Amino acid sequence: MSAVVHAPARPRSRLRGLVLIAVLAVLVIAAALWSLSVGAVPIPTQTIINTLFNLDGEQQTYIIMKSRLPRMVLALLAGAALALSGAIIQAVIRNPLASPNIIGINSGAALFALVLVLVFPDIPQVWMPLAACIGGLVAAAFVMVVAHYRNLSAIHLALIGVAVGFVFEAGVDYLLIVSNDSESSAPMIWLTGSLWGRTWAHVAVSWLPLVVLSAVALLLSYRLDLIALGEATATGIGLNVPRQRLLLLLVATLLASVSVAVVGVMGFIGLMAPHIARRLVGGSHRLMLPVAALVGMLLVVLADGIGRAIAPPIEVSAGILAALIGAPFFIYIMLTTTSEQDS
Amino acid sequence: MSILVKGVTAGYGRDRAIVENIDLTIATGEVTILIGPNGCGKSTLLKTIGRLLKPRTGTIHADELDVLRNHPKRVARTIAYLPQSPVVPTAITVEQLVGYGRAPHQSLLGLRSPRDIELVDQAIAATGLAELRFKPVAELSGGQRQRAFIAMALAQDTPYVMLDEPTTFLDIKHQVETLDLVRQLHGAGRTSIVVLHDIAQAARYGDRLVVMHEGRIVAEGKPTDVVTPELIRNVYGLDCEVYADPVSGTPVVTPR
Repeated sequence: MSAVVHAPARPRSRLRGLVLIAVLAVLVIAAALWSLSVGAVPIPTQTIINTLFNLDGEQQTYIIMKSRLPRMVLALLAGAALALSGAIIQAVIRNPLASPNIIGINSGAALFALVLVLVFPDIPQVWMPLAACIGGLVAAAFVMVVAHYRNLSAIHLALIGVAVGFVFEAGVDYLLIVSNDSESSAPMIWLTGSLWGRTWAHVAVSWLPLVVLSAVALLLSYRLDLIALGEATATGIGLNVPRQRLLLLLVATLLASVSVAVVGVMGFIGLMAPHIARRLVGGSHRLMLPVAALVGMLLVVLADGIGRAIAPPIEVSAGILAALIGAPFFIYIMLTTTSEQDS
Repeated sequence: MSILVKGVTAGYGRDRAIVENIDLTIATGEVTILIGPNGCGKSTLLKTIGRLLKPRTGTIHADELDVLRNHPKRVARTIAYLPQSPVVPTAITVEQLVGYGRAPHQSLLGLRSPRDIELVDQAIAATGLAELRFKPVAELSGGQRQRAFIAMALAQDTPYVMLDEPTTFLDIKHQVETLDLVRQLHGAGRTSIVVLHDIAQAARYGDRLVVMHEGRIVAEGKPTDVVTPELIRNVYGLDCEVYADPVSGTPVVTPR
């Protein structure tokens, strides 16, 4: 372009990335502690710290240990899982609009989990994530097979995903209407992305898969960089693209599905957290994935806490609040990011 | 030491084959340029050698290495392949992009060795990108982007480099810059295989031309031997005259 040669801009140093991760981690911990204190029964932070170290009275201990702590743990796990899932899907499909929602995973997982709850009400909690995973995989597999078979572009894939998502959502709505009794109100709340009534049982069935899958996602971060270069370039530098794409989408699908099983549909996290992270540290996934996970944790924990703090004892779903808090910020980011998608 | 293509037939899906029964030997140390009219199969042939397209029949070897049977990573240590208008990644700097060229030499985690850093530095210097090193690739001009991708292929440190229409969408100055870079690669002891549209450029920058027509190779050899009015008429259906380029002495085609 211009003949004037500019001095190289200063690099985004690795140090800056690490400092950012540390700051985010502190924010997540602070938000988590705060979320333990708010709700129908406000509990001072000092009491919470005492409780966590087993130093305090029984009522507070009961509320914290039985009600708020498992919620907080689930909020952290699900926030990280949804953010990682979204980041993987955005890299693989190479579409900034992509998220677990867009390729139908969330709705598929929700439908299968709901069928399990309604049709087999006596079945133990353990099976919820499994049913959700099957649903998520069915939806993702359908979208992928169609896209692969017709050799479709990223835009077509996203459109088919949206359509598949609507079909599964219609199934969810139908089930909620036909089973119109007191039993269905609980699934209804859960489906809006709420942590209401979550217990240690939910933590027990989901923590191991979510931790393992998140670790796998972080290990695969460099491959995400490569696959984001597109099939042709990635093949040229030695990536077995079809196989890696399948592996990465499998990890992303399972992450989102298990989250849906325990915290319901929080579609916005998977779209927003990766964008915020990319804006903060750039597109290299080795740094971007951990930052996205922390942003996801922060968003869900804050949303859950604020949802309880607004008008106790009534609760607003974390999914709804996450969208409410995140959307303005997200729009701000989109408006201030120079368009890099063209060409 | 060469790339040996034997009996390769390839096409997309269940459609008719685009290239049929291709036999081709790419000798080391030369710049081989594939030319031919639109749809003649030159890009398809390059994609097949680059493992983007699985051939229906035939074998491809590069220095005794079976390109189709070996692990993609292993092949990528021998052949670098740059597609036509590659995807520009979001929020990735020039240095990061060039670093990806080292992927076939690295483990799953992509940790850099001193050798990786050295080769990335060399590739950035050779393509004149030092000033743009920390700029996002998406913010570069078309010519600069093309140089960044070529630098990535350079960092891959392979004996063979394949480029699919690297000059498309560039203005003439950037076209020349890019092709000079290809000659530089050759000077550095690499063998390159390039698909080009412009016959005069192909004749000027190639040691050897391979002319394709309707999925087959119809001529190959030195530019002065290959580019004749008869060939252009047969292959492109164009009535023309061929004269020597006043600067390089290589053949130039002008329509009659």
